[in-house]
Amino acid sequence: MHERTRVFLGVDVGSISTKGVIINNENEVLSSDYIWTEGNPIEATKQLIRSLQSGLDDGVAVTAVGVTGSARKLVGAMLGAQVTKNEITAHAVGTLSRYPQARTILEIGGQDSKLILLDGGVVVDYAMNTLCAAGTGAFLSSQAKRLGVRVEDMGAIALTSQSPSKIAARCTVFAESDMIHKAQTGHKKEDLIAGLCHAVAANYLNNLAKGKRLREPVVFQGGVSKNAGVVRAFEEETGFEILVDPNSHLMGAVGAAILAKEAGEESEFDFHITDVFFSTVAHECEGCSNRCEVVSFLKDGEVMDLWGNRCPKGAAVRHAADCAQRER
Amino acid sequence: MIIGIPKGLLYYRYEALWRSFFHTLKIETLVSQNTDYGLMAEGIRNTADESCLPAKIYLGHVRSLAGKCDYILVPRFDGTGKNEKLCERFFGMYDTVKNTFPGVRLLDYNLSSKGLHSEARGFVEMGARLGKHPFVSLFAYNQAKKTQKEQQAAQVRRQKKRLAAEGAKILLVSQPYVIHDTQLGKPLLQILKDLNITPVFSDDCDAAECVKASRKISKQLYWSMNKESIGSIPLLQNQVDGVILLTAYPCGTDSLVNEMVMRKVRDIPVIQILLDEQQGEAGLQTRLESFADIIAKR
Repeated sequence: MHERTRVFLGVDVGSISTKGVIINNENEVLSSDYIWTEGNPIEATKQLIRSLQSGLDDGVAVTAVGVTGSARKLVGAMLGAQVTKNEITAHAVGTLSRYPQARTILEIGGQDSKLILLDGGVVVDYAMNTLCAAGTGAFLSSQAKRLGVRVEDMGAIALTSQSPSKIAARCTVFAESDMIHKAQTGHKKEDLIAGLCHAVAANYLNNLAKGKRLREPVVFQGGVSKNAGVVRAFEEETGFEILVDPNSHLMGAVGAAILAKEAGEESEFDFHITDVFFSTVAHECEGCSNRCEVVSFLKDGEVMDLWGNRCPKGAAVRHAADCAQRER
Repeated sequence: MIIGIPKGLLYYRYEALWRSFFHTLKIETLVSQNTDYGLMAEGIRNTADESCLPAKIYLGHVRSLAGKCDYILVPRFDGTGKNEKLCERFFGMYDTVKNTFPGVRLLDYNLSSKGLHSEARGFVEMGARLGKHPFVSLFAYNQAKKTQKEQQAAQVRRQKKRLAAEGAKILLVSQPYVIHDTQLGKPLLQILKDLNITPVFSDDCDAAECVKASRKISKQLYWSMNKESIGSIPLLQNQVDGVILLTAYPCGTDSLVNEMVMRKVRDIPVIQILLDEQQGEAGLQTRLESFADIIAKR
């Protein structure tokens, strides 16, 4: 039998969308997909894996898996990943594979936004949104719904605007009431949408980039980078050229795949994972008044992993055994 | 007689002083338990919404001591020296507690920026309320001061040991009642431990040296506790790999001072971590892991 080509799987499970890529040794994307997480990272991952598999030819073998995103722990356990890495590092690695000179990465996802500053291909500083999800994809989605347009169309509509409405950028709750008010006084829809795009960019720069010096080249990625209106708003606000990769929404997954490739630990990934029954059971540990929310992760009713507990108290461990019993 | 000491806020600054003072006076003390979720929830229920989280936790500690002791020690602090202030919360805490738990008997002493021996006077007055002769109280105070100095020296020694450790080290710049609290700082310390990073604490530095060093960042600061915490940065920045500014929401003095630090301190990686009532640790994990990656790559 001839040797099959080694390829690498990267999965980025975000709050809103789940992204996956399969890359080859040269970091080229062989197969990719982008689907909605819809609050169920396990199902979304299975669907993603099926879709990625159908895009592959027989001559390849996935030999390492990397996972990132807010559900990385859960999905990492599910896929038996070699690498589970935080989003900052994964995004930086992914972007550097495309833009080795990049100095600034703007990233806006479903509920997180991040700013990553690089120097000589190394992350030197970062900022993440703190308590509120202001100015993220979730905000744009809900406003799109309110205005009766598809979120995917917002960018194109925004570009048709001649005079974007001025919408408060400090806080998205105020931005929303501002927008409703402007709509009721007769502003055109495209102007409102362009105004929203500006609010997102201004909010991001006010919150994350304050006190930090942005340097070119600037790369913009994450789901929101697909919105041309926000891209233009960033260009106008910063005065820089903003680079957006055709795969800008997949950079986290690409980074995870590269990290897996470089981990030096390989074993063939079994696509039959999609037929396995995975489940989680959340439970409040009553061992002490810390009330840890312990999550047990089960594969075909067998406890694979357990997290959320602050101490290794018996209750947590016992609970795991109980769960296993119950699922059988 | 038993004096209850809530394990929050100034406890982490004055533990040795207080315990030793009462010990010499042969008065029993009872320190409240470590903060846990239940105690914090109780504190949040009993505090105005806008209070900072450490103040809410403090009220939880007071509540947990109610009925278990004769007095609860809640001092009233205005400032620690000339042109030096503490957050107003320390000035108002006695009255906050008094009004929140009217049935609880409190023991207090005042510390103000006026007068040279105000701490000693405060202790003598506190002793008088407990029926102790001023000479006896003064003796106990002097003993307690010695114990406090010994404890501080031990902290500095502990710091040296940490700084001599192999591997990555991160300086945690924080109010002691945030970083050493089991509900606030401990999960963060656990994550650092899992990442094989040695924590170095700003409050284990010599306070006087810190105050002096803080002038390298700003000469205009007048919050004593912030001077002590940020002074550790110029003092130690050549011996650590990164700095975490740790604060609990919403801290007024930290929000101003940390912002300034992030703008002025440029030659070492600095991040701010803001803790709040939210229980999820995923965000904390992401931020710390990324920071660890940054310092590992440098």
